[in-house]
Amino acid sequence: MNAAHVKFPPATARLAIIAAAFGIWEFAARRFGDPLFIAPPSRVAVALFQLVHEKEIISAVGLTCWELVVAFVLSIVLGLIIGLIVGLNRFTRGSMYPVILLLYAIPQATILPLFVLTFGIGPASKIAFGVSHGVFPVIMTVAAGVQNIEPLLLTSARSMGATRRQILTSVIFPHMVPSFFTGLRLGMTAVLFGVLLAELYVSQSGVGHFTTEFTQTFQPQNLFALVAVLATIAVTLNELCRWAESHFTRWRVS
Amino acid sequence: MTQATPAIRVEGLTQAYGAESDPRRVVALQNTSLSVARGELVALIGPSGCGKSTLLNLMGGLAAPTSGQVLVDGEMIRTPLPRKIAFVFQESTLFPWRTVLENLKLGMAFQGVPKEERDPRARESLNAVGLSDFADHYPSQLSGGMKQRAQLARALALQTDILLMDEPFAALDEQTRMVLGEDLSVLLARTGKTIVFVTHSLVEAVFLADRVAVLTARPGKIKTIIPVNEPHPRSRSFMTSDKLNALRNQLYELLHDEIRATMALGASAGAAETKSLYTVKEEEK
Amino acid sequence: MTRSRLAERLVQLGFFGAVLVAWEIATTRGHVSALLLPPLGSVYRDFITLLSTGQFWPDLGTTLYELAVAFLIAAVSGTVIGYAVSRSGYSVKVFDPLFAGLYAIPAILLFPLYVLFFGIGPASKIAMGATIAFFPIVLNTIAGLIYVKSLYVTAARSMGASPRQMFWSVMLPAAFPVLLNGLRMGLILAFLSILGSETIASFGGLGHRIVELGENLDTSKMFAYIVFVIIIALLLNSAVSFAESRGRSHPA
Repeated sequence: MNAAHVKFPPATARLAIIAAAFGIWEFAARRFGDPLFIAPPSRVAVALFQLVHEKEIISAVGLTCWELVVAFVLSIVLGLIIGLIVGLNRFTRGSMYPVILLLYAIPQATILPLFVLTFGIGPASKIAFGVSHGVFPVIMTVAAGVQNIEPLLLTSARSMGATRRQILTSVIFPHMVPSFFTGLRLGMTAVLFGVLLAELYVSQSGVGHFTTEFTQTFQPQNLFALVAVLATIAVTLNELCRWAESHFTRWRVS
Repeated sequence: MTQATPAIRVEGLTQAYGAESDPRRVVALQNTSLSVARGELVALIGPSGCGKSTLLNLMGGLAAPTSGQVLVDGEMIRTPLPRKIAFVFQESTLFPWRTVLENLKLGMAFQGVPKEERDPRARESLNAVGLSDFADHYPSQLSGGMKQRAQLARALALQTDILLMDEPFAALDEQTRMVLGEDLSVLLARTGKTIVFVTHSLVEAVFLADRVAVLTARPGKIKTIIPVNEPHPRSRSFMTSDKLNALRNQLYELLHDEIRATMALGASAGAAETKSLYTVKEEEK
Repeated sequence: MTRSRLAERLVQLGFFGAVLVAWEIATTRGHVSALLLPPLGSVYRDFITLLSTGQFWPDLGTTLYELAVAFLIAAVSGTVIGYAVSRSGYSVKVFDPLFAGLYAIPAILLFPLYVLFFGIGPASKIAMGATIAFFPIVLNTIAGLIYVKSLYVTAARSMGASPRQMFWSVMLPAAFPVLLNGLRMGLILAFLSILGSETIASFGGLGHRIVELGENLDTSKMFAYIVFVIIIALLLNSAVSFAESRGRSHPA
């Protein structure tokens, strides 16, 4: 279409767009922004360097990371167990799957106060709330992974004399791996949403405490910096999941 | 066991789906009998949905018949006999998460081959089908023809007396399947296995088989058996010979009425296709 | 067949029955505080009161208003931008990874910033919902439009389709299921994040009401509201599934 123009590699163009967005932000914030509500990127960068030297902030971020990891691990373990129970047996699938779908359709945000009432305002309620988000994608993908196996693969294994155990360990489990990793990625996204929402809702010593403080004391540069740190952590965790997914399912791509 | 005992003997086999009172009951096979001699290569051919694959699955014990029986080496079979019978299926049933070599070894592990024998046997049969260089490739990295050769290698590595093949080349283009057919003829002539295979291709049936069994439209039973009388391995010159052509024409004559009968039945697949075409058209208006 | 169906239903009923029975026992004979878990009877009474007095209307109205505006913004901007990006292979290569990357950032993190910009009223929730809903919609629009089978396009071109006809009669219907999937995900995510952000900081809305009742330790009424919101969510879910099944009425 625009063959006459010189085209940059897509990655370069992408970086240019991101840089331009920061430029506009910087200009607009300095020119029109109220310093009580918005901070230009340059001031955020300065705030970021100051924040990473504050012990309280570091320990708050550490605590949130701890909550994320524990909630994620619990989601995987519970999701794997329940997913296998539901997926491997026709009867449990028929009876329990609709129940799980129904529970999944409940907006957990509405029962957040219950988590706080039950588990207190410490890390436990954030972890529990994170698990309540993360466990469902893992259940669904694990159950789907053991179900949607090509029947001919099972027939073929049976024709070669595979025992029930061999079919489980050599056919069904490996077949489940890709969807399991998809579940991990979706579960991670959900855990992030759950834990961070619970943190923002109420927190004594996690990051939620500081987001509230920075908002109420009008320190947008610190708020932006803290959000940037958390976003970086979230993206890193996401990328780790994605890497694990592609690493353990290399056989899928040619 | 004498030479006279057939390798596979099918006696009065009927396979029906659904209860007798159910109006939707489908009789796939009706009172079919067939005898396959040791070392013989029999092709099953017939119109779509006539029960060819059902017959093959029953021969291999992958399903139990509604009535009748299958005798393998004179003994009744109702469950798979992995030490006697190996399968090659229509689509690739290679496990996609394992390399070609690992697939062969897994098959032998299922069958119960001692661990130390698996690797040499796997490499030997990969060599036989000409896939040695692709031992460490994943199935997704192979072409359709290579996948089917790998499936064949897996079946060969099981070293069974009997090989059952369900349209092994159906997914391939005609040129590939003709060349693979030539290779297969050479390979199978050497192994001396008893082979039954299902095919849609008249040429393939004549080219490979000692006898071609023609099935009727559903409910399927054997209409005729045509002997081919041509020594193995068969060469390229047989592919283009007048003899093969004459047999092919004879088969087509035999099948023609059955195919028409199947189409009149409104074979489920065809009917569904027509229907979906209509629905899409109506929506566009 | 039917007998196992029946058994499955029995297990499901048994599950919910057991939950209710355990609840009843825990509140009547157990030592569970009524502040933590109110008796079933009182939740039921509060729920009936809630429905009969219609006191839920202002909060429901706020939440649905926020959802409608947020979804509208996300749907329009997402499909328009997605369409614009899908026009050239180059812009797809530039923008698709950019949107996918931004989607990986948990958008709920932006909520404190939005409160700062837009205040504590509905505007910050609308911004939140629109941000979260935008990404699945734009990504699915791009994916739907670029994966339209080139065979369809070639066939339509061979029959002389004009660009307009190509878009309305080929591209759009072919991409529709994927587009619809994006809209569905967007709507659900917007609903969840609006409820979530109402719990964090708000003057009104269902999420806010539940949290407020919880903070006042009016647990029984809070449960009644939770049940109400769950019913709303299930209704919303089935409405979306219904719309989706109508939208793709030709057999796949």
